[in-house]
Amino acid sequence: MISVQTDDVNVGELMNAAKKQGTGAVVVFNGIVRDDNITEMEIEAYEDVALKELEKIARDATERFRLQHVDIIHRIGRLSVGENLLIIIVAAGHREEAYAGSRFIIEEIKAGVPIWKKELTKDGGRWVPGDHGHGSGKPR
Amino acid sequence: MTVKIRFFARFRELLGNDIMMDVDAGTMFAPLITTIAKKNPEGYAAIFDENGAFREFVILMKNGKRIEIADSAKTVVEDGDEIAVFPPVAGG
Repeated sequence: MISVQTDDVNVGELMNAAKKQGTGAVVVFNGIVRDDNITEMEIEAYEDVALKELEKIARDATERFRLQHVDIIHRIGRLSVGENLLIIIVAAGHREEAYAGSRFIIEEIKAGVPIWKKELTKDGGRWVPGDHGHGSGKPR
Repeated sequence: MTVKIRFFARFRELLGNDIMMDVDAGTMFAPLITTIAKKNPEGYAAIFDENGAFREFVILMKNGKRIEIADSAKTVVEDGDEIAVFPPVAGG
């Protein structure tokens, strides 16, 4: 399941469904809205493009790390502290591939998928700064 | 002909989103964004530097594909195109 969506998912069910014949490791990355003195977090995406890029990252990770299964669910909309923000579930034959595949996916998301976060506070809000190293002024 | 311009995150707050514009044939990407951004000085300053060039961190897309800033002045927009301009991403 690759998705950009407002609704939460049942991480336990997805984790169980990730197991395939020959699976030796399932790694779950669950990104959570952290309490950095915020009231809520607003997540915005360029949805069509973000979904296509997540699908490409999943394909690349599957090929590169011989993954048996990949789920990526990035939530959008307004979320409270403690809510699930990003869920990545990967299954592989061995732990090395599972850990490496999971790490690859989160780093690729942070590097280029068009999603933004705004931390809402009592005094207003602030956009979480992204990595300025990948603008269109520089080749990737 | 009509094109759709989409800004995201801070740029959206300053300049709006899903802007439909009638443009002449032969209109180039960079001048089109300059024209729209000039409607709000703060929005313009967020995207362009003091020389009127795109700030290096700005990300440009045409129909979901990235366009380099160096190519934006010579990239023609066509009827039905979706143009996107946004700040560095911060998902995850």
